[in-house]
Amino acid sequence: MSFRIRMILPLIATFVAAVGYPLFYSFYLSLTSYKITQRWDSHFVGLNQYRDVFANSDYWSAMKVTGLFVVIGVFLELSLGLAIALSLQRQKRFRDFTRSFLLSPMFITPIAVGLMFRFLLNQQLGAIPTILDKVGFSYDFFGSGNALFTMIMIDTWQWTPFMVLLILAGLESLSKQPFEAARVDGAKPFYTFRRITIPMLAPILTVAILIRSLDALKVFEYVYATTRGGPGIETQTIQYFTYQTGIQYYRLGNASAMAYLLLIIVMIIVVVLFKQIEKTRRL
Amino acid sequence: MAKVTFEKVVKKYGNVLAVDDLNLELEDGKFTVLVGPSGCGKTTTLRMIAGLEDVTSGIISIDKLDVTSLEPKDRDISMVFQNYALYAHLTVAENIIFPLLARGGKRVEAQGRLQEVAKMLNISHLLERKPKELSGGQQQRVAIGRAIARAPKVFLFDEPLSNLDAKLRVEMRTELLRLQRQLKTTTVYVTHDQEEAMTLSDVMIVMKDGKILQKGSPIDIYEYPNDTFVASFVGSPRMNLISGLCDRGLFTSESGIKSIVKNIGPKKTVLGIRPEEILLVPAVEADFMATIEIVELLGPRAIVTLQVASEHLTAIVNTSDMGSIQEGLEVGVKFRKDRTHLFDEKTQVRL
Amino acid sequence: MRKRESSWGILSKLIITFSFIIVAAPLLWVLLASFKTGSDLNDPTLVTFTPTSENWKKVFSSGIFQSAGRSAFVGVITVAISIVLGSMGAYSISRYKTGKSLTRFGILAAQVLPPAVLVFPFLDLAYRLRLSDTLVAVIAAHLSFVLPVVTWFLIGFFDAAPKEVEEQALVDGLDRFAAFRKVVLPQVAPGMGAAAIFGFVLSWNDLFYALILAPGNAATLPVRIAGFNTFRGVELGAMCAAILVSVVPVLIASFFIQRRLVRGISGGAVKF
Repeated sequence: MSFRIRMILPLIATFVAAVGYPLFYSFYLSLTSYKITQRWDSHFVGLNQYRDVFANSDYWSAMKVTGLFVVIGVFLELSLGLAIALSLQRQKRFRDFTRSFLLSPMFITPIAVGLMFRFLLNQQLGAIPTILDKVGFSYDFFGSGNALFTMIMIDTWQWTPFMVLLILAGLESLSKQPFEAARVDGAKPFYTFRRITIPMLAPILTVAILIRSLDALKVFEYVYATTRGGPGIETQTIQYFTYQTGIQYYRLGNASAMAYLLLIIVMIIVVVLFKQIEKTRRL
Repeated sequence: MAKVTFEKVVKKYGNVLAVDDLNLELEDGKFTVLVGPSGCGKTTTLRMIAGLEDVTSGIISIDKLDVTSLEPKDRDISMVFQNYALYAHLTVAENIIFPLLARGGKRVEAQGRLQEVAKMLNISHLLERKPKELSGGQQQRVAIGRAIARAPKVFLFDEPLSNLDAKLRVEMRTELLRLQRQLKTTTVYVTHDQEEAMTLSDVMIVMKDGKILQKGSPIDIYEYPNDTFVASFVGSPRMNLISGLCDRGLFTSESGIKSIVKNIGPKKTVLGIRPEEILLVPAVEADFMATIEIVELLGPRAIVTLQVASEHLTAIVNTSDMGSIQEGLEVGVKFRKDRTHLFDEKTQVRL
Repeated sequence: MRKRESSWGILSKLIITFSFIIVAAPLLWVLLASFKTGSDLNDPTLVTFTPTSENWKKVFSSGIFQSAGRSAFVGVITVAISIVLGSMGAYSISRYKTGKSLTRFGILAAQVLPPAVLVFPFLDLAYRLRLSDTLVAVIAAHLSFVLPVVTWFLIGFFDAAPKEVEEQALVDGLDRFAAFRKVVLPQVAPGMGAAAIFGFVLSWNDLFYALILAPGNAATLPVRIAGFNTFRGVELGAMCAAILVSVVPVLIASFFIQRRLVRGISGGAVKF
């Protein structure tokens, strides 16, 4: 056996055990009526679970909620991240301290972030609604119509730093010459930003958006810590819904079908996006 | 000390032929230089000796031992890379004794050898530093020190001087030559710089497109190039190559360049003449006339570009002989007797 | 001569100041609340009060340190396995193009998998092997996302490392594995550090897998903190203290790793 095979074999073996096996097994589960309370009574039901999921309006509602969460959240994080990264890049004094501090939210356990905002935004005992109330402005952060946006704000608080980190790394690896040339040519800052900074950052922005979107799809902790899907099912995200079906209601077969359907949809989106990126790259 | 032989060695990268049916014997104790333009297969050849590149087919042996399928560590060689490849996390001393310890040598014994090597290369004062604290020239010395710390059968050098500035390069060249003479170890050296090849080699091998074009002593190759490629690749400024007709001992080009040559033909040929063999003479002695286009002074000598109709010739003239030579002047030109090279126009091979 | 401050310069200072407040204020407020008594907590805007250590005592006696220890244990084991196997595999992939683009794609694709796809098989297997509510199940599950991420990082670092140094080591008399261990790994050590920290943070922060696979006696820190999720006034202070227990270590750690992370990422980790 050659050296390169010997080197990769342990990785492949672990990979197959930790990723490959569950991946296939969950597909098998999605074809059964498996319930964790009645493990002995599980039988093959073919695509029935998928049919049920397709017909389940709560599932599609969860999809929509997750979609909105991802799109709005990532867009906000990207815009704020760009503004903050560009500001940080210019900064000279207290550079390390500010950077470390502004990046720190992304390292905090998401469940702690969720609980923190649950505490701060609570209608009766939270500091922020109380202050707003005092200035004559009443706003229920977890009320109907507002709760999803509150989730997005929490996500933005925690993950904008991730955008800042990637964009900052990207900015620092950019060659200085085009910027100096632009200055010599007398370009205005905004023009430089639009015509030089953004195009040169494009590859890293694409990566950042992709990583962040895929991660935001998995949102669970904030929902678990604050609304538990409510009011109604307004903030029930796909990951939370699957968790409920599988763990709260013990219907593992059904939950597996939900997860698999999500995986297929995500894969399709990723492939289409990649094709699109390839196309624009060639233009 | 050892002989390195290649028998029918072929190296392919996918469908690209990097080295094509190489048969070669590198002599024991000699300084052999592989030279050629980039992509000619010289580095691949060197890396195949080292075992860093697999051989597609054929046999490589070192000292009569077939090493074709041996790991690099079992070939008893040492190598110096273009970018020195020092171990950044080790000190200079640790770098130099690395090959000794890697082969199971004792640290105590290695210390003795370390001192010798450091002295030889004048780096005794740098031993405790890390590579990044050294200048390019010093790093180069450390890399060479590491190569000579052991007494391998073969030294391999992959363009080791190309990252140094011009002055340092000339210095290191001399030093390398001195070391090799002292150690008498078979050495294979790769470079794209023909001047470096000329000055360093006992045996020079010119390669192109994965094939050997010519092998021989530098002076032989300079004096008797096998074809027009070798003729123009070796020597600086380059040899002048002029297309024309050879007929009964007289060469004539369309632009009117004339010279007495070997009695061959009538045949379409390429005439080669080195810049230093072009003589500027009074009109009465001249074979043809030319206009002086540019004069570039180099100190004791000058490069003179001559124009004959649409043809340009490069000549080297001693400054003391220049007399009234200046740009725009018309002068008589003659090629030094028996110093012309003739090549077949079709095959580009020496006649 | 003093240059006139451009409008963009002023704006950028404003942005930084504003972001600073947005990040700091919630944390400060939680810190304040963790010293308040149950009745003080009824007035959320109260700033001056007699601090109490009651909340902290309650949190410290709740087994939160055992949970933090478990989280650290899971993180360290997961990262150690990932770094050892990942570095060997990544090296093979980077240097010898093992498996061509298939291996690279597989490792990338594994990062796209929704956790919900993988968690139920882990749960079922844990039941069958009588490993439910143990850390073994959690570690196995964490490997499924830490291993691909760490390997992906490392492939980037190996791609960026110069090849000559290891070739030199081969010529100098090391076999391929020794050259990898003694020469290649030290070269990518900074990158490995960044990858290890990143992997550890991922594992340390995970709630989803840990909550499903070990919700009881083997609760990790996020699961334990989630357990403080209550809105009975008397326990609010304790919840704040628990939040801080998880925040303070990462806050300190992030100060040390920020610079390295920026460099590590620009050093080639984020490439497709």
